[in-house]
Amino acid sequence: MEVPRIGAVIGRRAVIRTVATAGLAQLAAPFILRGARGDTPLRIGMIDPLTGAYAAPARNEVMGAELAVSRLNAAGGMLGRPVELLVEDSANDVGTGVQKARKLVERDHVDFLIGDVNSAVAQAIAQVAMENKILHIVSGGHTDTITGKDCKWNVYRVCNTTRMESNAVSDILFKKYGKKWHFITPDYTFGHTLQAALEANLKRLGGIETGAELTPLGTTDFSAYLIKARAANPDVIILLVQGQDMVNCLKQIVQFGIDKEVPIAGTQQELESLEGLPSEARIGSWMFEWYWNQPNVPHLAEFIADIRKVNKGRVPTARHWFGFASVMTMALVAAQEKTTDAVKLAHALSDFELPPEVKLQPNKVYYRAGDHQLMLSAFIGEARAHGKDDPDDLFAVQQVVAGDAVAPPVADTGCVLHWPA
Amino acid sequence: MKESGRTHPAVLVAIWVLLLLAPYWLGLVGGYTALGARVLVLGLAAMSLNFLLGFTGVLSFGHAAWFGLGAYGTGLALKWVAASTPLALLLGTLLGGALGAVLGAMLVRRRGIYFAMVTIAYGQVFYYIAYRWNALTGGDDGLRGFSRQPLEIGPWHIDIAANGVAFYYFVLACFAAAVALMALLLRSPFGHSLLAIRENERRARFLGIPVEFHIWIAFALSCVFISFAGGLYALLNNFADPNNLHYSLSGDLVIMAVLGGMRRFWGPLLGAAVFVVLQDYVSSLTTNWMSFIGLLFVAVVLFFPRGLLGIARRRSLA
Repeated sequence: MEVPRIGAVIGRRAVIRTVATAGLAQLAAPFILRGARGDTPLRIGMIDPLTGAYAAPARNEVMGAELAVSRLNAAGGMLGRPVELLVEDSANDVGTGVQKARKLVERDHVDFLIGDVNSAVAQAIAQVAMENKILHIVSGGHTDTITGKDCKWNVYRVCNTTRMESNAVSDILFKKYGKKWHFITPDYTFGHTLQAALEANLKRLGGIETGAELTPLGTTDFSAYLIKARAANPDVIILLVQGQDMVNCLKQIVQFGIDKEVPIAGTQQELESLEGLPSEARIGSWMFEWYWNQPNVPHLAEFIADIRKVNKGRVPTARHWFGFASVMTMALVAAQEKTTDAVKLAHALSDFELPPEVKLQPNKVYYRAGDHQLMLSAFIGEARAHGKDDPDDLFAVQQVVAGDAVAPPVADTGCVLHWPA
Repeated sequence: MKESGRTHPAVLVAIWVLLLLAPYWLGLVGGYTALGARVLVLGLAAMSLNFLLGFTGVLSFGHAAWFGLGAYGTGLALKWVAASTPLALLLGTLLGGALGAVLGAMLVRRRGIYFAMVTIAYGQVFYYIAYRWNALTGGDDGLRGFSRQPLEIGPWHIDIAANGVAFYYFVLACFAAAVALMALLLRSPFGHSLLAIRENERRARFLGIPVEFHIWIAFALSCVFISFAGGLYALLNNFADPNNLHYSLSGDLVIMAVLGGMRRFWGPLLGAAVFVVLQDYVSSLTTNWMSFIGLLFVAVVLFFPRGLLGIARRRSLA
């Protein structure tokens, strides 16, 4: 019997096809492997708007979370398992955020969820997390309802509510500047709720509102609003705009010399915004949700040093701490309860106090049982034109107020928690 | 495949087998069921847009408006009217379809860039209504507080609320019904008149086809289909937000249609699949995922103006 030649059995085309398939398989390997990877590592899914208007704070939150994960892994992981952080971009879009949440839950089988800077996305993710009974920490979305009337048993929040922010500054601004306030407010839900909370406080204190300018998100020219605000002759102009809008508005206030006539103040200010301003425009009274330059706070120096290593030598912002605290909360409570069961962990987080190596600030910092809101300190002070101890030391803290002193009582938040049976 | 645009029966069978078995093979290639549902919903939206763009020859750049109206209509109906998924879908479709029909009547005399600009304007009007009307729509935070309800069909109870696979098949059934209707319309004399208008409007007019009326009906039907897709999108996310109405989504839908092949019935579905899967996969690797979509889009427009399905067709002819 004649032995057929190899070339006759395996044709040229078959060889090419095999090679091509093998090549494609190489390309597709990570795609297929991701689904098939073992369940050994403990997975934390993090969703944040890495592209779009909130990209800067979102990236800083991720950096903080990564630091927490690397510290955990260096110390032997969580419950004896290595920790893996899976980061997804929500692109500031609810549909994308929900899709990414489902992806993390259904395909990657994450044990915890963190996110999002955008409140709307955060609430939508919270819904997915509840459907799937997964512990979710909202790292950076401020809308009241997350720990208010839409609160959920599985959802905790690290950053402030808008009510807490306005309560933290109202009395101080009133005493310092006087009773006639004029608002410059971003025209969407966050701005509206913040303004309403400040108005309520102003009324209680016996002040007068000389007017409110509603500015669309993404406004670049604030001149018309600023001229109107100055003409109303208030004692203080309250800026509630955020991010790039804050940067543009402050620049124009200085250009027009309005700050020489009327003091400028506001609620939430972020280091990311101050860093983006020319030195002469770093003005006004604000609150920070966390600030890096605090005297005599244990473990703070290590945190700053660790962030500097990964942040091109820059100091951490509040957003770094939010990401860090979110991951550490999960690690601490899981270690305490020795489980990843969401219901048990959520119960254990009620009135859970953050230890000094995580809280990195004075006062008692704990998750309030009634609405799952973290009671974190408010740092009140003034912007500085030039850094004092460091080029990024752009804020002079004058007062640190405990979170539970400014948070409205649970009964006023509208939160009613329904625990699964 | 012939010039008439009819899809080969073998290809049709392949499409439906792939769609029907999606929950079983998606997991094996690194996907997940919700991704399949998203492809179907956005595919239906892109096919609805293509009903106008590819088969009537007018470009609407604000179709997200009707998509979002369908989503808000469905969400509001579930929240305030009754806890019934089919009723909510119907009301959402009617809301978008009716507004589309009324406003569409005002733009049938516009052509080309003017038509596109008026549709963008419509889209932004509804976007800002959704963005600003906090009391009704939840404003920037989006509309929440509703969720899809299990189906009760006679003695059967189908839990599409908690079961992702059941919901996928519900979406697939809706998708099948909608595209079957769309295909029937395109094969009817009415559909042929639309093709005639696309190919040569003046000639169609001389042949006695009431061009404006046809474009109006086509626009209204396209709005009905895309509102239906929007309603399904609201059910998929249990959420509606102003970005559902934004012109950037309209742009994405146009990209999907052109990417897949706007002269082909199934082209937009392929375009949506490529778009959604690329977004899902590449955006986990890099934040610059849009650049990849952009590059692919540029390559398709430059080298394969008939879209990805057009490549297949060229090969089969050669």
